[in-house]
Amino acid sequence: MKKIISLIKACMTSEMSLFKINLKHKSRISKIMIILFLCFAFMSMTASYSSMMLEKLAPFDMQYVVLSLFVFVISIFTFIEGIYKSGSLLFNCKDDQLLLSLPIKKSTVLFIRIFKFYVFELMFNSLFFVPLMVCYMIYTKVTASFIITSIVMLLLLPIIPIVLSCIIGTIITWLSGKFRFKNFAQIFITAIFLLGVFYLSFNIDSFIANIAQKAASVNELITKIYYPAGAYAKLAVDFHISDLLLFIVINLLIFIICIFGLSAFYFKINSNIKRVTTGSHKAIKKQNIKKHSQTRALVFKEFNTFFKIPVFIINAGWGIILFLIAAFAMCFKYDSFLKILTTSGVELGSIYQNVPLLVVLIVAVASFTTSITSSMISLEGRNYAIVKSLPVSSKRVLLSKVLAACLLTIPALLIGVFALAIKFKIDFITVLLIIGLTILMPLVSHFSGLIINLKFPKLQFDSPTEVVKQSISTFAALLFDFIVLIAMGYLLFKFADKSLNVMLLILTFIMGLIDFVLYLYLVKRGTRLFEDLTL
Amino acid sequence: MIEIKNVTKKYGSKKALDDVSFKIEDGDIFAFIGHNGAGKTTLIKAIMGIHDFDEGDILINGKSIKTDPISCKKIMAFVPDNPEMYENMKAIDYINFICDMYDVDEETRTNNIMKYAKLFAMDDKLNDPINSYSHGMKQKTVLIAALAHNPEILIMDEPFVGLDPKAVFDIKEVLNEMVKAGKTIFYSTHILDVAEKLCSKVGIIKNGKLIKVGTMKDIKGDKSLEKVFIELEETK
Repeated sequence: MKKIISLIKACMTSEMSLFKINLKHKSRISKIMIILFLCFAFMSMTASYSSMMLEKLAPFDMQYVVLSLFVFVISIFTFIEGIYKSGSLLFNCKDDQLLLSLPIKKSTVLFIRIFKFYVFELMFNSLFFVPLMVCYMIYTKVTASFIITSIVMLLLLPIIPIVLSCIIGTIITWLSGKFRFKNFAQIFITAIFLLGVFYLSFNIDSFIANIAQKAASVNELITKIYYPAGAYAKLAVDFHISDLLLFIVINLLIFIICIFGLSAFYFKINSNIKRVTTGSHKAIKKQNIKKHSQTRALVFKEFNTFFKIPVFIINAGWGIILFLIAAFAMCFKYDSFLKILTTSGVELGSIYQNVPLLVVLIVAVASFTTSITSSMISLEGRNYAIVKSLPVSSKRVLLSKVLAACLLTIPALLIGVFALAIKFKIDFITVLLIIGLTILMPLVSHFSGLIINLKFPKLQFDSPTEVVKQSISTFAALLFDFIVLIAMGYLLFKFADKSLNVMLLILTFIMGLIDFVLYLYLVKRGTRLFEDLTL
Repeated sequence: MIEIKNVTKKYGSKKALDDVSFKIEDGDIFAFIGHNGAGKTTLIKAIMGIHDFDEGDILINGKSIKTDPISCKKIMAFVPDNPEMYENMKAIDYINFICDMYDVDEETRTNNIMKYAKLFAMDDKLNDPINSYSHGMKQKTVLIAALAHNPEILIMDEPFVGLDPKAVFDIKEVLNEMVKAGKTIFYSTHILDVAEKLCSKVGIIKNGKLIKVGTMKDIKGDKSLEKVFIELEETK
């Protein structure tokens, strides 16, 4: 046990170092303040949603439904996120050599990997679960047993989604290990799994309807779909120690079976994925040697990083892929789209009138959910010294990162916009304004993402997934983008009485202004932050 | 020429470099030696402009790395102690990337890459991804990238670690060739017998302070460099 604790401590040093409070360092205090602010922001959002629902359900004495619903939703999020995180968190980690050379059981190594994943998900889940608990306690008379149950629930909540996603992650890694181009195979197979999950969740109506007919209540319905969610609500209302113990045993058993089950294949798959394509040993030719401008070389370096890290592509590209699917679905499934809107009570005339706004909205959602730059500095890792030793200005290095991110997102967004503009015959001026916004909105996300990453770099990591999916930088960037998105929605609502083009013009101006301010900040302060980067 | 003027670098209250001053002329091979954690890499990173320092200045051919870093870096090349590179790239792409940064024309880079790739027996391996390389192959790749843009000053942090004897011999030949052409070489090392044979000047650093600097002949006298170093290390 002592050995395992030492291993966990060693493996999580970099994650935990941020929480070591040293009041002598101003930068650390400000980092902690920002982390606290981020936690507060996420928790406030959850608290407002949960209290809104609890308020509506309190008169019927059905507050417990919110508990099961939240547990269900949090678990689904953890599971979907886990599908594309688990493969790279479990396999081909930088500390493989060290851990595998130690005199410890193979299952212990796998346990450490999954435990690290668990701790992160536990922290993330707490942001949603703790405010829910507090709100529930405000709206319901609770006893000590509720607090005990909730603490147990919080600790067990990530286990089942993590176990499921680790199994899927292992299958994806095993399958992709069979291909010559493992990275592309991994991206392709993960995308198929994710699309499958999305397809199932959109076509689950008949399945749920079937259960609903047999379910006596909403709670029973959720329990039938996902046991822990219903079990928690049941324990909150009607506490029995035997039920709680059974609940704990079931979760722990699942976890233990997963560790021992996966460790039977883990090392074979891990060593298989390490086989590197060594190329053809062809001698270099003059054609291999070409001169390019500094900016082009820097942009292509970023492309190389982007396309060689599957989790980076899946995470950043997901918003764009969904946008393109939505845009082309609107174009080619035009009748179904109209039918959905008209059956939900929207008038046909107002649909045509509001299509440009809808286009802007989906472009905004795609732009502000695609934060590529928020991990670009961190992904330099120890290579930051190479870039800093080169005769190239920090400004050029940083702007090349923004340019690379723009080239990865804006052309795809423009394709979707053009398709929609042609299909819905949007007038020329409006199209121009939408194009302007399609360029300016991702820029806001890219500039802000890079600035945030410069403030919160994570240059030491065992797997790129820790940077792309689990760093403070990506969360802060996500929150910033979310705030901009909400503010944009508010502006659209505020200027609803203005004509469409005036509204778009105001938005374009505001986005342009934000871009300009962020650009100035990046060039002036961001370059200094980059120059001060150190491990 | 490298001129280090009263450079001090602090990590919190600890001085990693304490008022370090010395000069390396054109055509010198300068060996920088010291125990682990003495401050060698800190000074090298300060010379390369990788990190800042608190006091003093470093002049590269008369220009300050603090105020004119781009001009200084343009004439220098850096070989780090641990050959960290963009592992997902092919070696040839990495070398091309470094050459692009130094704005090297196609003819020069082609000649130099071909020349050094052949010298280090890497000509049939540069098309492979770096993550398939051994430590020594990575080190050779970093060296080819560093030499491909004809630097006037070569800064190396323990360059011989992990290299096979043939590669060590070849590097020594390249360094001698560079010195004959009037170029400056500064490198840190723990391999004292190589430094003794190869270098014209030596600096010894201990706990951030430069305790000896001068020509190899003056520093070691009749003794071996190893003996001088051990004696200095043992004195408080």
